Amino acid sequence: MSLLSVSGVTKRFGGITANREISFDVSAGELIGIIGPNGSGKSTLFEIISGFYHPDEGAVSLDGARLTGLSPDHVCRLGVARTFQKLRPFAGLTVVDNVMVGALTRTRDVRHARARARELLDRVGLAEKGDAYARTLSTGQRKRLELARALATEPRVLLLDEVTGGVDQRSIPGLVQLVRDLHRGGLTLLVVEHNMRVITAVAQRIVALYLGEKIADGAPDVVTRDRRVVEAYLGQAYVQ
Amino acid sequence: MKGTWPAVVFFALAALGPVVVRDAFLLDGLILILLWGATAAAWNVAGGYAGQISLGHAAFFGLGAYSAALLGTRWGLSPWIGLLVGAVLATVFGFVLGFLSNRLRGPYFVLATIAFSQVLLIVASRWRGFTAGSEGIPVPFRPGFWTLGITDKRVWVAIVLVLAIFLYLVELYLERSRRGYQLAAVREDEDAALSLGVPALRLKVAAIAASAALTAVSGALWAQYVGFVDPFYVFSVDLSVRFALAAILGGIGTPLGPFLGAALITTLETYLRARFGGIGTGLIGIYLIIYGTALIVMVRFAPQGLVPWIGQRLRRRPVAGSGS
Repeated sequence: MSLLSVSGVTKRFGGITANREISFDVSAGELIGIIGPNGSGKSTLFEIISGFYHPDEGAVSLDGARLTGLSPDHVCRLGVARTFQKLRPFAGLTVVDNVMVGALTRTRDVRHARARARELLDRVGLAEKGDAYARTLSTGQRKRLELARALATEPRVLLLDEVTGGVDQRSIPGLVQLVRDLHRGGLTLLVVEHNMRVITAVAQRIVALYLGEKIADGAPDVVTRDRRVVEAYLGQAYVQ
Repeated sequence: MKGTWPAVVFFALAALGPVVVRDAFLLDGLILILLWGATAAAWNVAGGYAGQISLGHAAFFGLGAYSAALLGTRWGLSPWIGLLVGAVLATVFGFVLGFLSNRLRGPYFVLATIAFSQVLLIVASRWRGFTAGSEGIPVPFRPGFWTLGITDKRVWVAIVLVLAIFLYLVELYLERSRRGYQLAAVREDEDAALSLGVPALRLKVAAIAASAALTAVSGALWAQYVGFVDPFYVFSVDLSVRFALAAILGGIGTPLGPFLGAALITTLETYLRARFGGIGTGLIGIYLIIYGTALIVMVRFAPQGLVPWIGQRLRRRPVAGSGS
């Protein structure tokens, strides 16, 4: 039984088809990587799953319940959380207040939410930054903050958009380890990632998109050697 | 200024005012400070906490003032009923404006609020048969608490003080409650708030509607206190700007800020007008120049507003002392 199901999703912007009949299922506990060159439709797909865009055709459902057509906040309350590729911390709030906003989706008690937020900050390695304003954090720290904030909403499925994008090389292993730990803890993850080394190291399964269509879906070593995937990334000359 | 003690001091001083001071001019100043403070605080609910800057809040103030005045003159009803009717009407219009805020963001929302207050101004000043048009409405004086016909300024201080404290508590709620945190998130980044399960649309609309209703309550009391409702005053952009200015100068999105801002503006304006505004001094209008200059100085040196500015001074002092 799949937890998250994407079926026949098509999204057009004017004459451009950003997603064309994309379908795949995610089982509980899976960590799936979504890859594809720029403009392949990864971000659009994320926006559709999280409720920010509505598809022209097809639907997304969580545990049999239809998500398509619901507002993003509703989708989150049903159990799908996300991070943003272009980070969006609440810059004028403290780090702990940022995470509390997520926690308050699951509890009405402000004190309880604050305790929960501290716990999560500890888990992502930002315990000392709790009282700092979010605007003072580095990019790597902001990624961790977004992660903590999304986790605070107690998601059943977590969508991560470019966890290591724009982060300096030294911070990457820590972030990758964090994602691995979350997965080991039983969380279902859908990860968009540019860095192929990162994605092949963490994902159990990879879905590859190219020009809005799904071109491959399977184990990392199979997908990365797939003729169409190599062609999409590197061009025909590299296909063996 | 994190705690509530400055507010306790502020409201205690205001409560002591009528005990210590008998001078009608000073009591009038106190009443206006509290009333404008409460109105700026009502503005702050939308403009500060929800981040929806409005320059049309005079619309709600005027709705309150007109409701109290018209129900009193036309049907002989109590201004308290007028106050309620005004608040209900303002809530309805607040909902409309709230939904607009989801289509119109930033400057476009500000323009819509200005247009909205101007439409009400035109209705109030042209609908002669009902509102008495541009002549305005003298509010009949009927002695008694139920009819709010009160000459004792000390009673008025008590009434507006209750309103002011209530508004302060509303802001404190927005500072510390679950809904307050969520609203802060919406103000900072609406999409990010949505992604975390915050019902941004509903919260924004509710905040704007509540802000509108509270502003109308101020309007109704003001009409009753001053005794005359002039459409060109109560629906003016000047008045809307005054509400926003008091909140911004005092510290936007802080609970005590609007009250300090109102105290500053009202005092400055009253003083300058009395000092330089007299006919025959040859300096009529110079108070506006001084007033404007003072505002520019304020914005230059305390751009975040008075409350954060004072807060910073207070925090710095002990550190400097222990460091030497």
